[in-house]
Order: sequence, then structure tokens, then C-alpha cells
Amino acid sequence: MAQPLPPPSRTGSVGPPSAGGMGAPPASAPVGGGNNQQNLNQIVLEYLNKKGYSKTEAMLRKESLNVDAHGQPILTRIEDTGGKKWGQSFRLIKNWVEHSLEIYRPELVRLLWPLFVHAFIDCIIDCYTSDALAFFQDYKGDFEAEHSQELRQFEKITLPEHVQDNELAVLYRQKKYRVSLSPMAFAVLVEFLEARDNEGGRVILNLINAHIEIATLNRAATARGLQKLMEEKERSGRLGELGEDEGIQGHQPGSTNTDVNTIGTLTKLSLAPMPMEADLMEDVKADLSHEDSVHPPANGQSTLVDHLEQTIKQEPTDDAAPSRESIPFPPSTARDVAVEVQKVKENRDRFKIDGRTGGVGPGISATMFTFHNTFDSVNCIEFSGDNSLAAIGTAESYIRVWSLDNRPLLSPQDPPGFQPSSSRRLIGHSGPVYGLSFSPSAAVPEPTTNGHSGDSPAPDSQPRFMLSCSADNTIRLWSLDTWTNLVVYRSHQSPVWDVRFSPHGHYFLSCSTDRTARLWSTPQIAPLRIFAGHDSDVEAIAWHPNGAYVFTGSGVGDKTVRAWSVANGNQVRIFTGHTGNITAIACAPNGHIFASADDKGEIMLWDLRTGRRTKTLKGHQKGGIWSLDWSVESTVLVSGGADKTVRVWDVQPNKEHKVNGEVVNKIDGATVGGGAAANKSGKAKGPVVSPDQISCFATKKSPVYKVRFTQMNLVMAGGAYLEQA
Amino acid sequence: MSVWNPENVTDVAESIGIASLNREVVEHLARDVEFRISEVLTEALKFMRHAKRTTLTTQDVSQALRLLEVEPLYGYESTRPLRFGEASIGPGQPLFYVEDEEADLEKLINAPLPKVPREISFTAHWLAVEGVQPSIPQNPIPTQQQVDMAARGPAGNSTLAALSGNDNPNTRPPVKHVLSKELQLYFDRVAPAIMDPSNEDYRNAAFASLKTDTGIHQLVPYFVQYVADKVTHNLKSIFTLTSSMQLLAALLENPSLYMAPYVPSIVPAILTCLIGKHLGPTSSSTSSQSTNNPDTHFALRDFTASLLAQLARRYAPTSTTLKPRIARACLSALLDKTKTFGTHYGALLGLTFIAGAAGVRSLILPNLGAYDAVLKAGLEDEGKKEGAEVVVQAIIRALGTLEDDAVMVNGEVEVNGHPEGDALREQLREVLGEVVGMRVFESGRQGLIKAVLEKDLVV
Repeated sequence: MAQPLPPPSRTGSVGPPSAGGMGAPPASAPVGGGNNQQNLNQIVLEYLNKKGYSKTEAMLRKESLNVDAHGQPILTRIEDTGGKKWGQSFRLIKNWVEHSLEIYRPELVRLLWPLFVHAFIDCIIDCYTSDALAFFQDYKGDFEAEHSQELRQFEKITLPEHVQDNELAVLYRQKKYRVSLSPMAFAVLVEFLEARDNEGGRVILNLINAHIEIATLNRAATARGLQKLMEEKERSGRLGELGEDEGIQGHQPGSTNTDVNTIGTLTKLSLAPMPMEADLMEDVKADLSHEDSVHPPANGQSTLVDHLEQTIKQEPTDDAAPSRESIPFPPSTARDVAVEVQKVKENRDRFKIDGRTGGVGPGISATMFTFHNTFDSVNCIEFSGDNSLAAIGTAESYIRVWSLDNRPLLSPQDPPGFQPSSSRRLIGHSGPVYGLSFSPSAAVPEPTTNGHSGDSPAPDSQPRFMLSCSADNTIRLWSLDTWTNLVVYRSHQSPVWDVRFSPHGHYFLSCSTDRTARLWSTPQIAPLRIFAGHDSDVEAIAWHPNGAYVFTGSGVGDKTVRAWSVANGNQVRIFTGHTGNITAIACAPNGHIFASADDKGEIMLWDLRTGRRTKTLKGHQKGGIWSLDWSVESTVLVSGGADKTVRVWDVQPNKEHKVNGEVVNKIDGATVGGGAAANKSGKAKGPVVSPDQISCFATKKSPVYKVRFTQMNLVMAGGAYLEQA
Repeated sequence: MSVWNPENVTDVAESIGIASLNREVVEHLARDVEFRISEVLTEALKFMRHAKRTTLTTQDVSQALRLLEVEPLYGYESTRPLRFGEASIGPGQPLFYVEDEEADLEKLINAPLPKVPREISFTAHWLAVEGVQPSIPQNPIPTQQQVDMAARGPAGNSTLAALSGNDNPNTRPPVKHVLSKELQLYFDRVAPAIMDPSNEDYRNAAFASLKTDTGIHQLVPYFVQYVADKVTHNLKSIFTLTSSMQLLAALLENPSLYMAPYVPSIVPAILTCLIGKHLGPTSSSTSSQSTNNPDTHFALRDFTASLLAQLARRYAPTSTTLKPRIARACLSALLDKTKTFGTHYGALLGLTFIAGAAGVRSLILPNLGAYDAVLKAGLEDEGKKEGAEVVVQAIIRALGTLEDDAVMVNGEVEVNGHPEGDALREQLREVLGEVVGMRVFESGRQGLIKAVLEKDLVV
């Protein structure tokens, strides 16, 4: 907010400052002076003629043509209409775009939003408040669908000083908005604007020069070709979708390269799982072979050791694995061995969820944990990795942890005679708690021999720590052995929205209103990395399963998801396309694809390697998708949100489209038609559900705050029951 | 044009002593106020979103003010929605204000403390089982809206949709539609075969198939429903009830079936067969084709109880409320003196199997004294004598578990230190009631006597 505005670019290039138009109201001419004026001109002309000043005479004759009989200038230049000029110019370009050739329309339509914003802001800056507001009201309806949040922010701007105080307006003024056009469309546009120079073409041209960056790209050569644009248009039922290459963060799709002229070269990512430490690997193998000898595998099952080696071999070789040196971890312990062993076991024994097979989505089982008597004070719900604990963070600044299997939560510090219950309160924060994260753990069943729990104690695999973050700007680390606060991490300057443990523990990530995400390690109280670059709050975060990358998602004004490298802190990918605030991100366990969700009810799937969007999943209603998670095989995505539903999605890319376009397109066309018809028949019914939804489970009155796939592919969902309405 | 009325600005200005403000200044200020307020609201909405709420609260606004480095407004911390009053200061000029009740301090201090709000707790239920939302009270009834929410595309599983009743309501096919023809045939053959008393071979074959077949998972809900139907409508036919129970037992025995989700729907049928008031032909209808031994309903109850025990043992770890719920039902049946001896018998068996020795000690033993009167009356009544006798036997058996338990705990039975003879008899009568007390005394089983009395001594 404090940054100075760039020099007023518009007034410099338009010609006479429009202050003149405001300062000289046409009604102030002396009445009855018309005749005198005419006579005066005549006299002067005669005088010039007599003296032989022919050039001066010609000039005077030419200039006096623009003056009416009363000596008032005739308005031929749009600039002279004052505050109305933006409205008129915008109407001009809008009409033209809407009647332009069909093949250019989807592209040209994308220009309207930035033009609208800048016309409005310029109008405000020039103090034509009422004109600006009328203009805004006239055209805002066109942008409700995609930009409702921005509209809400711009709507309140009525005075020039507001433009400097409003974050979003500053952002739009400071950065150029990028739109991609094919060369032909661009040529047509420029030609039109020049031809209609006096009717507003110049105003538009100036806006484009000052605030918009038009990237010309050859559509035929890109993935987002015209054909695709037309398809998108048909599918979404509206003209053009927010492109991946468009917006304030205009950049080559996928890469972080914002230069128009360079072709986006993508940073190579190491997406393979982090290799296991050699010592750890040995221990795990030893344990597994022991396990194999005690419990020989059932028929048709491979031994655990074989299974482990198979999973390691399976990894495609085209993905580099991040090196352990770049992300150091403390040496492994017996606990790590137990957890790894359990992972291999579960990996072999679990019920596998295949993707869509034969056109039928898999059946998912889900348990719902409903919290009662909360009075809407629960901010977040979290389940531990071993499915033994559930924690909630409340608006009353405390955290409460329950044992899901009703076991008493013991602490060595309990006074004698203390009756431990199955729930604990953790008190320490001084503001609402917005995020919780358990340290990684796995459910290791107690070793049983002959039905009795064995003599050897189960290896300690419970989560030992929990992180919490709060509006009091701090992150706290809690011990789950003593149920006390161990560390307070202070560095964020404003409320911290979320905190996540790395999939391997030790490191964690936090995000805050101060527009940064920070990387920490538990033993250090200062952040190791600060990921800065977002233009508004960082609202959602996630880890890549190999722990080498993190994802951050941002709110209004920015609305991008970015990927960062943990090793060097660099931004490696930007993903644009969301139209609402990002509310949740989750990366698939296979490491190649991730999903992000916004509060408009859309989920987008992105391919990490190419940096492109693969799918948009629609179906959730407005209000926020609070949580996403992937099945262990990365074949199914589950989401839960404020519309009180848990939905299951098919994530396979629609490959059939290209393979035998004709046949499948027919089917697809039929479903799309059905959806559109349903949408027409009753608009109140809510948004269209995309055909990728496998199933939708509604709760009675509980918004779903958290969904989680267990290692055994069971969905756990958590929500708070709302009594009223 | 603006939401914020310029007159308000004039009013505020006058209230702090600025008498005349230029009209333009006022308008400018009004716009500015509006802008600042919406800036605060934008921030407040952020806090609302991160608290995953859909209603804005005063706390959100306070947090937003703090973030914008403005001193928050105190005194509006309220979890209830604020109530707005309306007053008119002129025609068409409503004035809104927050209703502020006057509280009498004296009254407030002397008023009893308000109730402590109930603690936050959580419950768990199945939201979906293999893609189907079970219709249990915790899940909403599928409405038109949800039908619309269901997917229509190629990924949508029509089978799943049909099973959960979410398919198109206008052309909803009969439920059988989703089963394969083979499964339908299987069900159509097996179910009647089991209920057919005439052909023992078929029955045995059907049970054997149910116990071992791996591919009948889809049929489980239908069998469960079938059993529930049969049990509700055939309370008079011991054979049907027994067959139903055997069917369930067979399903539970099948290692390839995952029955946990169906346990809640099985339990009512089982409890009916265990503690039903009149099972089998009633005495009035004995003249009809009653070839059955009238006492087989005790056999049915025996079998059902063992089935229940099996069920409880297997599924109690996954469903924490299962055992308490069954125990409660049994106990209330036992304590109800108007119920028949058959019911009491079943309830006793149920309690013994479900809760074991500990249950007998804490649930049955304390109630025996009171139950004595019922037993006595029963034994004296010629018509009920037989039933009462069976119940007495059951009680003795239940007490027997105490003995076993004691043996397991102590290793050896010590009888020293207990009163002998009449004193002992008196004590037993006190604890167990006259009828049972006598029986126990006469049995002369020292271990049993000790185990029974132990409770009395220890507690």
C-alpha cells in the first residue's frame, strides 16, 4: 500500500489533460456574443487577406470550422466528453468484440476485463466519481461469473485516494495484465482501434499501452489452440475461460517466466520419491524378512521384501529423485524403521482403488466424525497419521485432542491420582487457531501372539508432536507425550493461516497474511526459507510427497498456485486459472499431479511436469472446499467443503478425446447437452456437476472441514454439526 | 447512491461540535467512510473463511481491525447474533440501533449461574460404504437436490447411484436391477430353500453355500433385509425364526464377507429372537398344526444367544456402542416383571454371553433379590412353572460363570472363613433371593457359593 503509484501514464499520452474538460463548462460562454464572434472572425479574415497572411488565414478558417455558430467548440474528440469517454470507449470495444468473427471472439473477449478495470480506475483517478460508478454498474454484470471477488473490492472505490489504499487496485496499477492473442486477432484489434480513433479507439489504445501486456502467440502451435478454445467455450457455456497464460501474473504457462518474448523453459523437477537412507533401508529390509519368516505371505501375495524391492524398481527412470544431501535429515531411529516397515506392509495388504474401470467409478468407504456442541467455534480438524488421534483448533484459542479409540491420554507429568480422560486441551495461543498438523506416523498394530498382546512393547509409532498456528502470529510445537508446549516459532508478521509438517517430519511449512510462506525445521526458531512472491495472502499450502517441493495458494488479486523448491527456495512453477480464493491444495502420492480447490467450488488438476492444467472438476457449491486428499494409488481424489458434502472424483485425464475423437465426443456431447439442459430448466439447482464426479455423499448439517485417505484407502471425514439452519 | 448516508456524517459532525460542513465535504467523507468499512469487511471475510464459517462474527471484525492496526471495538463479543431495533426519526428515515437491554446488577448477581454449556464431543458414523451411502439416521434422506448433485457422466457409477437411491427418481428401476442375473437367481433359490422345512438336504446345501461362497457380498443387504422381514412377520413360527438365525450365523461365519456395516441392522432381529415376549405358537393356538415342542423357543433363544455372543465378540472392537446397547436392552427386559419367563430367560442368556462374569456380577447379581418374587410366583403357578424352572436353571448357569471366573483369578478355591450351615443359607437367601439361594445352597458347590458371596464381602 505504501508504494508510490507509477506516474500517471494516461494523461501524458492522451494529449490535453482532461482537467480542461472539467474546468471549462460549456455553459459559461457569454450570452448573445455569437453574432459578435462571427463578425469578429470576418473582420480578422479580411484583415489577414489584405495583409497577405495566407497561411495564417487558412489556419484560422480551418480551426473556425470546429466552432459552432455560438463560438463554442464542436466536440469531435472523445477526450473532450470528460468522464463519459471511458464508458463510450468501452461500449465501442465491447460491441465490436461481441460482433467480431467467431474465431477471434474467445480470444478478444479476454481483453474486456482488464480494460474494464483500468477504465474504471482511470475514471476514478480523474475524479469523475459519478460517471465511474455509472460505468461500473452498467458493465459489472458481464464479469460476475469470473471476477465476483474483484468486483466486490473495486465496487467500494469511489475516490482517487482509495485507489492508492486498495491493495487490489494498486496491484492492477503496478503490474501489467497479460492477455494472449493470436497475431491475426491482434492485428484486427489494432486496425479497428485506429480506424475508430476519435470514437474512443484512442482511449482504449492508451489503456492497452499503459496497463495491458498483449502476448501474441501462434495458437496453432500451442496446446491452447483455437480448437480447444472453442471446445472450452462449448463446455463451460460462457465465452472463453480464464486462461492459464492470462492475468496479473502473466507468464508462460507452467514456468515462472514472465517475459513475453521468451519461450517458457521449464525448470526440471525431481518428482521421484526421496531415496531411503542406506542404513534405514538395511534395517527395514532386515525387519521385513523377519516379518516374512514369522508370518509367511498368504497365497498369491509376494513377500514383503519382494514387495519393497518392486516398489523401488517401479519408479520411472525419467524422474530424477531429489538428493538427500540437498535436504538433510537427522539420522533415522528405530521408530522410522517401524514406520517404514508398516508402510510396506500396508502397501501390500490394502484394498487397492483402481481408477475408473469400464466406465464405472470405484466405490469408496467413508467414515464421518461429527463434532457436536461446537457453536461454530471449530476452525480446523486434523487426524493423525496412525488414525489414533483427532485434534480441533478453536476460535477460543485452545486446541483439543481426542483419542479416537477412547484410550486415556496419559502424561508422565500427571499428578498422582489424576484421572486421565480420552481428551486433552492444549492451551497457549492467544488468538483463534487456524491450522494444525501432526508429525508423521503410521498405525502399527500391536504385535500379537496367540491372541494376547505380546511381551515386547509395540514400537513407538504414534505421532509425537503437533504444530499449531494462530491469529496471534505464532506457530507452536506441542509434545504429545507430555501434552505441553515445547517451542514457539515467531517470525510471521501477521496471522498465520496454516502449518504443515513435511511428509518426512523434521521440516514444516507455514503461510500467513504477510504474503509469504516460510519453511522451518523443528529445532530452529528462525525460518530457513522465506517464499515470497505472492501478491496477496498465502491461504493454502501443501507438500510434495518427496519433501523437495512445496505448494502455496493465494487469495484475491493473485489467485495463483505456486510451486517452490525447498532446496534453494526458488519458484519453480506458477499455475493460474482459479477464479476464487484458493482454499486447499493436495499433491498426489505419485508426485506427478496435484489438485487445488477454490471457494467458488472448482477443483483443478495440474500436471507438475508440464505445468499445465489437466482437468477442472465442478460440482461443489460456493462457499469453499476446505480439504482435498488423494487415494494412495493417486487414482481417486476426495474433497469436502462448506456445502456439507464429501465428493469423490475421477482424476484420469480424458484421454479418449484424442484417441477416437468421434465416438467419444458423441457421448461427451450427450452428457454435456444433458447438463446444459438441466441447468437451463432450473437455475436455482446450483452449479453443473462435471461428469468426473464419481459420487457425492451429503452430511445432515455438518460442513466438512477435513477429508483424509488412510494408508488403507478408507476416507476419514471430519465436520462440525451446526444446529441452526 | 452510496450505501452510507451523507446525513449520518452531518449528524456525527454536529455531535462533536462542527456545526456546518460543506455539502461536498460531507459527500466525500461519506464515500470515504464507506470505503474504509468495506476494507475492514474484506479483511474480516478472510478471517471468516479461515475459520471455515459462512457467517461473519464480531470476532472476525475485531481480528480484521487488529490486522489493519486499528484498535478493535470492544463490547460486541457476542456469540448470539445481534438484535437490531428500528426507530423512526422522520418519514421514511428509519434509524437502526443495537438493542441494548438494561440489566439489573442486583438481579444479575443473585441470579443462579447459567448452565454450563455442553462439552464438545464427537461421534462417528459411516458416511459411505463402498460407494453407497447407508440410510442410517446420521445420514440425510436423499432429496431432489442431492439427486441433482449426483454425477451424470461416464464416471458416475450407476450401480452405486441406484443402491443409494440417488438415481433418477422418475425412472427408478426395481432394486433388483443392479444385481446380476446370477445373483438374483441365487437369492431366489437360497432364501426359500432355507425357509423350507420339508427338504433338509436343500437347507443344508444352502447353509453350506452361505458359509463358504465368496461372491455373495452384494447380496448381504438383501439377506439382512430378508431376515428382518421374516422375523417381524413370523414370530409364531419357531422354525422360521430358527432358520433366520441360522442364516445370519452362516453369513457371519463366511470368512469372505465383511459384515461390520450391517451389524446395526442385524442386531434388532437377533434381539427379537432372544428376548421376544411370545415366540412360537401361543398357548391358545396350540390346537393348530403345532407339531413343535412348545419349549423349543428356549432352544431358539439358546442358539440366538450364542449367535449374539459371536457377533459381540467379533464386532465390539469396531463398534464401541454395540455391547452397551445390547446389554441395556437385555437388562431392561430382565427387570420388566410383566415380561414372560421366555423373555427373562433370553435376557439372562444375553447378559451372560455379552458381558461375561463381570457383567453377571454387576448386572444380574444385584437384581436377583428383587427378581425372587417373580420366580416364586412363577413356580407356584402351574402354567408357568416350567418356564420359571428353566429360568432358575439359567440363573444358576449364569452364576456358574462367576465360579469359573473366580477359579481363574484365584487359582484355587478357598472356602475357609465363610459361615456354615444356617448362617450361610440365610446369607445366600439375602443375596440371591429365596428360590435361587436355596438351589445354590443345596447344590453344595463351594466354589459357586464363595464366588457369589465374594461380591458381597468385597464390595
